[in-house]
Amino acid sequence: MNTRNFIIYQSTVGIAASIIFPFYILFLKNVGSSYSQFGWAYGLFALTAAFSYPFIGKMADKLGDHLLLAIYSWGMAAILLVFPLAYEIWHVYVLQIVMGLLGAIQKNSEKAFLARAVNKETAGVEIGRYHEWTSIGAAIAVIATGYLVDFLTIGSLFYIASIAFAWSGFYVMKFRNETK
Amino acid sequence: MRKNRIILVLVYVLFFFSSVQLFHIQQTNPVFEDRGRLVSVKMKTLTSGKDEKDLIKIVDSAKRQNDTISIAGIQHSQGGQTLYPNGVLLNMKSYNKILELDENKKMITVQSGATWDDIQRFINPRGLALKVSQSQNIFTVGGSLSVNVHGRDIRHQGLIETVDSFRLLTAEGKIINVSRAENEELFELVIGGYGLFGVILDVTLHLTDDELYQIETHSLAFDEYSEYFQREVIQNEAVKMHLARLSVAPETFLEDMYVTNYLLSDHQELLLEHMNLKRDSTIAIPKLFLGISRQSDWGKDLFWETQENYTKRLNGSLITRNNVMRSDSTFMDYEHARKTEVLQEYFVPVDNYESYIKDLKAMLLKQPEFNLLNITVRYVEKNEKAVMSYAKQDMFALVLLINQDIDQDSMKMNQEVIRKMIDITLVHEGSYYLPYYHYASKDQLRKAYPRTEEFFELKDKYDPEHLFMNLFYEEYH
Repeated sequence: MNTRNFIIYQSTVGIAASIIFPFYILFLKNVGSSYSQFGWAYGLFALTAAFSYPFIGKMADKLGDHLLLAIYSWGMAAILLVFPLAYEIWHVYVLQIVMGLLGAIQKNSEKAFLARAVNKETAGVEIGRYHEWTSIGAAIAVIATGYLVDFLTIGSLFYIASIAFAWSGFYVMKFRNETK
Repeated sequence: MRKNRIILVLVYVLFFFSSVQLFHIQQTNPVFEDRGRLVSVKMKTLTSGKDEKDLIKIVDSAKRQNDTISIAGIQHSQGGQTLYPNGVLLNMKSYNKILELDENKKMITVQSGATWDDIQRFINPRGLALKVSQSQNIFTVGGSLSVNVHGRDIRHQGLIETVDSFRLLTAEGKIINVSRAENEELFELVIGGYGLFGVILDVTLHLTDDELYQIETHSLAFDEYSEYFQREVIQNEAVKMHLARLSVAPETFLEDMYVTNYLLSDHQELLLEHMNLKRDSTIAIPKLFLGISRQSDWGKDLFWETQENYTKRLNGSLITRNNVMRSDSTFMDYEHARKTEVLQEYFVPVDNYESYIKDLKAMLLKQPEFNLLNITVRYVEKNEKAVMSYAKQDMFALVLLINQDIDQDSMKMNQEVIRKMIDITLVHEGSYYLPYYHYASKDQLRKAYPRTEEFFELKDKYDPEHLFMNLFYEEYH
């Protein structure tokens, strides 16, 4: 996978994530009944991520970034199918823990891939270009979703995002053998 | 590798459709809670209509399928007055157009899902104001009619007095005009009828002029209040609106009061300067004080002192009628997993107020667990037009805000205290308000509302198949 393919992949998952995350808060508000539960939901997400980074780091070097990105994509695609069905606060806690783990995989793999792919001399430009395109994708997605919410339920946004993640998983697996 | 990808896609598609299917099943039986989160009801579906045709269709289809309909506005009632198991929840909020304003006759016709705020925004620039509404303006006209609200206004009785006519979509699926001249019986049933007699479509209301008021505040003891009110407020034609507070702080519990009067200002020429509609002000400070007072006695003392001082500072300031009728309530929003806040409202004849408060105090002092956060006092003139009328005489209306746990034991404890409070109210020839949680016994309902039997009999007459249903009916019929 070259940087261009990686940008396509990251833009897709970026778009998918942007579709849900701002509106995800609305969903949590429907399920949770206090701000402290809200705090816990996000806290669990961050804590799981924190504790899993060392492990993920090791895995990244052993298994390769592609496999981890594929796990992330398919994992997200699957969990977003479960989200619309959650209606108790403990469901959300469990999902947040899984999302924390997946989120950590994505963050670590993104950086590991870039670190391996870019030239040290032109790293600034290359990473800049990478961020440019992924950010544009995310921005468009957030704005467009704002309109979509008027027509679709929050439930259907989860499904749309899930399909996007599934596609990204499908896409990233195409490259796995070439680099290994 | 290719094989793996295809297998993954197939597995994903399988999961995708299972999830959508499950989601669909879940959505078709949505669970709704009342405002106080004490009642949780699984309903068949949530629906709404933008025009008459939609609403007729909804009624027809519910009849065909033997479903019940529960009609909902903003849903701030607290006992399932807008809910019924397995019924259709008809949300009226999107049926909210302003249809006609006759500035000469000072009459406005609106669809019932319009809120007081919608109306105020429309009439304020034209120098007009509502006659009667709640202190808050977030509620729909249809919902307010169904509970026959009253507010700070002391000159226009309850909301029913300001209603000229409305159209009603009946259980037969027909649309009829209802007023004091036409279908009068339904006029008296639907207003304060909790959505049990049909869907209120458009409503014609009497308006009044927007005016500039000068705020006057005053502190006094509870045993001076009735006399003060009769002498200084009701007999003083200049006073148009009135609100009082009764202390729940331990140091001055049910003793100290302060009042806020709104007097017609001598400087009506300043109206233009003040007529911009207020927006929600900063709520962080009242929210903080209320939060502290929930937790502790010293917090309650602090909250009372702060409120009183704040109100004193308002003395002499000017405010328009429209702005008095759009006060802020968001600072009261309360989100807690194990606790909730419920309201109660008791009406007691003006002359019996002093002895009533004494009895209430004696009883409440024996209930240290009962967490009473606030009491406001308003006045509502006698009006027995509605079948379920609470204003059997000229009454003071006490609104109580109570913080409680939602577990079974606390519910029971609360019920005991609330039933005792209602008993005391009834002994003093009072009554209580019905949009709140059904703590009251059937017997208490019948004592407070002597025409209860007639109300339920007429329900059978106008809606024999019980198309329009809610938990209030279920509990008390």
